[in-house]
Amino acid sequence: MGQAHLFPKVIDLRTLERKKAIWGFIFTMPAIIFFAIFSFYPMANAFWTSFFRKELLSLKAPRFVGLNNYLYLLRSESFWNSIKATAIFAFGTFVPMVLFSLSFAALILTRKRFQKFLQMAYYSPAVLSSVVAAAIWLLIFDPRGLSNQFLNFLFNTKGIDYRWLSNENMLRLATIIVYFWKYVGYFTIIFVAGMASIPKSIHEAATIDGANRWQDFWHITLPLIRPTTLLVSVMSMIQCLRTFSTQYLFVQGGAPIKPIDVITLSIYNTAIRDRQIGRASAMSVILFLIIMSFSYLQIRISKTENITY
Amino acid sequence: MRWMTWFVMFWLAVIVCAAQIEITIWTHEDPNRTPLEERYIQEFQKMYPNVKITRVTYPSAKIREVVLTAFAARKGPDIFNMEIQDAYPYIVNERVAPVNLSVLGLKTFDELKSLYVEGALDAVTYQGKIYGLPLELTNWCIFINKKYFREVGLDPEKDYPKTWEEMVQISEKLVIREGQIIKRRGFDFRYPYYLTFLLPMVEQLGGALFSDDGKTAIVNDEAWLKVLRFMKDWGPNGRNLGSPTYTAARKEFNKDNNTVAMCLSGLYQIDRIKAENPNFYNSKEWMVVPFPVFKDAVKDVRCNYYGHYYMVNAESSKEKQEWAWRFINYILSHPEDYLLNVGLIQPKRSLIESDTFKNYPYAKVFLQDMERAHIVPLHPKGPQFEQLIKEAVESVMLTTTTPEEALRILKKKANELLKEE
Repeated sequence: MGQAHLFPKVIDLRTLERKKAIWGFIFTMPAIIFFAIFSFYPMANAFWTSFFRKELLSLKAPRFVGLNNYLYLLRSESFWNSIKATAIFAFGTFVPMVLFSLSFAALILTRKRFQKFLQMAYYSPAVLSSVVAAAIWLLIFDPRGLSNQFLNFLFNTKGIDYRWLSNENMLRLATIIVYFWKYVGYFTIIFVAGMASIPKSIHEAATIDGANRWQDFWHITLPLIRPTTLLVSVMSMIQCLRTFSTQYLFVQGGAPIKPIDVITLSIYNTAIRDRQIGRASAMSVILFLIIMSFSYLQIRISKTENITY
Repeated sequence: MRWMTWFVMFWLAVIVCAAQIEITIWTHEDPNRTPLEERYIQEFQKMYPNVKITRVTYPSAKIREVVLTAFAARKGPDIFNMEIQDAYPYIVNERVAPVNLSVLGLKTFDELKSLYVEGALDAVTYQGKIYGLPLELTNWCIFINKKYFREVGLDPEKDYPKTWEEMVQISEKLVIREGQIIKRRGFDFRYPYYLTFLLPMVEQLGGALFSDDGKTAIVNDEAWLKVLRFMKDWGPNGRNLGSPTYTAARKEFNKDNNTVAMCLSGLYQIDRIKAENPNFYNSKEWMVVPFPVFKDAVKDVRCNYYGHYYMVNAESSKEKQEWAWRFINYILSHPEDYLLNVGLIQPKRSLIESDTFKNYPYAKVFLQDMERAHIVPLHPKGPQFEQLIKEAVESVMLTTTTPEEALRILKKKANELLKEE
């Protein structure tokens, strides 16, 4: 009798699970379709196109060239310059971005007042469109702009042109500053959320055990926010490798292209200016592989168990 | 009965809408041209109520990528215009339709050519057919702010720069610097249009972009080197007279705000001064002089001219193509309006020979320069060649690259590009 009573319940649960799964699938379908159309299809298409020689304006059928586009790129001086420009920009931005966003988050959480205001203030540049941000900074870096005036005031000099847009290293630094300014607040907020999720009792226990603030941060906060640090480092690295609008606008504004010819800008010029969509697709595939490998490497290095409280 | 009336009216509306032909035109922004062409659209739509014209404008720097991506997706506009060096690949790739002669009431392409000044349609002539009608042919001359000349003791009417060497000397007198920062430029070039203004400088010294047989790029090292050295000397690594990183000189010129004394621009600049700064325009404190030549020039070549031609999408339906040419013909049948309101020269014989043109301020200066100039080089890879020259010039002006090294790289890349399939 007891068993007979139990079976319908098991069947009920199975039906319920199946129903839930079906509804879950139905609810995620729009996202899957959206991803398939707008992300997966273009990715697959770019991969396919990278094996063809295709002139963007030509109505002739694209010609299959196998790996020729990739071989051309590996031999191309300009492509290696793009790899170098991307590497300099990515590491020059990524390292300070992670360190400063972590520090800013810690700083915000130690404030008793104005926490919300500081979060908003740090986050606000992220709301601006990248094009607008680059355009504003272009005015600031103009030889007659605020950046030269500020440095001349700071170093008590007169009329020194620090050549933000013309000296190779200064130009690289200028693009790094724009990107850092725009995204540091965004990652700060992610760190704030990560740090705020650590139960207060753990910090209190550490304080009772005699830990000072620095020890608390180093031995409690930092290990417990490792998943957040991983997220921020992967996200910021991907962001840095995909940078485009700052470099594009700076070049439009008269800056020399070579020091800041990042891969994305090179892809754009190959496709739009040179009309070589096959070659541009090959560059996109290479960039995709670079991003994938860095993300994989970061995840492997920071591999950690789930943290539960 | 009432229901029936509504039913009939509804279907009538559907039929009328279905019969309406919609023509889309994409063109570059020009604040003075917009009201004029909007008026022509109204007039045309009144004459032909079954035609609806939609005019969309894009910034000059943006239009080439917008049109290219649209054509790549086979969704191009019915009518468009771009600088001819950017539009030329559309002709070569058969993406635009030849001019519909019957719509224009003509029988042959030669008859069409005879309406325009010699060579005006050469850029759009391909395999015996003509693929566009000119909205404008533009060359650049030097605009001068007379006030600043007098301020440094120069007589603008006599002392204006005739050679590039004089341009350097006069700019040195006019420039105002605070330390290394330029507060007022004497003159500055029109970066990054190197095929338009820099190539003639090279040609003046005997150089060329392509050899006569078209098999070699960057001809005559000495000429190229001299121009690269000149540009290095001009930039912040040399005499510090100007740089691509400053705001475009032609934009600053109109403001008359003591930031630039001379700039390089087309006849249309006059109407832009008039629109943006009427006080400066009316003060008559500006003038236009010819494009300079080097002292030891071997060829008297002036600034290259370029053209904007209205073209029709070859993939639009035959009916749309016919209406598109009819509309283009209508708007271009007012060359005097374009000259007087926008400062654009449509190279029609009727305009060039008219008193309106002859009496237009400085039209003679531009015309005389144009007679000693040629159109920007047209090549399917033209924009890539321009980019390579940009890299070379800006590397010597803004980085530590020597002119010799920049020329070596330019020659290597340009010849590789030329040999590429």
